[in-house]
Amino acid sequence: MGAGMTAADMQKSYIKVFSALMVFTLLTVVAAKFLHFPESWGGLSTVLHVTIGLIIAIAKAWMVVYVFMHIKFDNPYLRVFIYIPLFLFCVLVFALTVLGGPTL
Amino acid sequence: MSSALSLAHEPVTGIRHGKLGMWIFLASEVMFFSGFFTAFIILRNSNLSVFAHGASELNWPLAALNTVNLIVSSLTMAMAILSLEHGNKSKFQLYLGITFLCACGFLVIKYIEYTAKFSHGIYPGTSSFFGLYFTMTGFHALHVIGGMIPIGWMLAKSFTKRGYHDWERVEILGLYWHFVDLVWIFLFPVLYLIF
Repeated sequence: MGAGMTAADMQKSYIKVFSALMVFTLLTVVAAKFLHFPESWGGLSTVLHVTIGLIIAIAKAWMVVYVFMHIKFDNPYLRVFIYIPLFLFCVLVFALTVLGGPTL
Repeated sequence: MSSALSLAHEPVTGIRHGKLGMWIFLASEVMFFSGFFTAFIILRNSNLSVFAHGASELNWPLAALNTVNLIVSSLTMAMAILSLEHGNKSKFQLYLGITFLCACGFLVIKYIEYTAKFSHGIYPGTSSFFGLYFTMTGFHALHVIGGMIPIGWMLAKSFTKRGYHDWERVEILGLYWHFVDLVWIFLFPVLYLIF
């Protein structure tokens, strides 16, 4: 399946990605619940929280797509089918949140 | 043989028909869920206090546990595919079984969350936040159930005399399952945390 990779190598990749996903999940919670910005920053703090949360989510999504979904090893044409919709989704969420209206 | 699961290759790109079909389906699913996320953000921007209050009512530790559940199930699904590819039937059954159990665990936690909301008089019609919350998580849970059916079928078939040997078809199912995990990776912070 993975070009030039043994089953043991693949397993190690999976475990590494799994560990990274768990760490990033913890980071998501810490950033959202325990990372506080000064009140004087107003709406900027919401923008920062959203940006940090999205960046972590995108990093996790990329790891799942690249390794678990085998995009790393597969035909490059396939990347078009997931990277473009994912990119559009991220732009949509970020643009609507940051530019779309008033924030707390 | 059903062309949807055909293992023949599409002549232009060289991608297997079944795999290409699943990726195209997943691309449409990204658009499907994007509609909900868009609605969530637009409604939030015009109902800040309602959404802030709604999010504060949600049980984020349980949702975090569900995130762990799905990440574990993604790992075990990947391991199941690898095991079957290398002819290790018992490990395939073990990993696919754990995947199925994780999915069950996800639904149990979702059930606990929903019943807790209902017991507090919170329903989809309570506010625009909860309308979207129940819709988005409800559709996601339906996708989980939809994935559990073929997982259960493949697992059950592996215990028969004939067994189950098509790792490429399990890989195609695995794409769907990882996508279900992907959606939750975005749902969890958007609904429970960052807003």
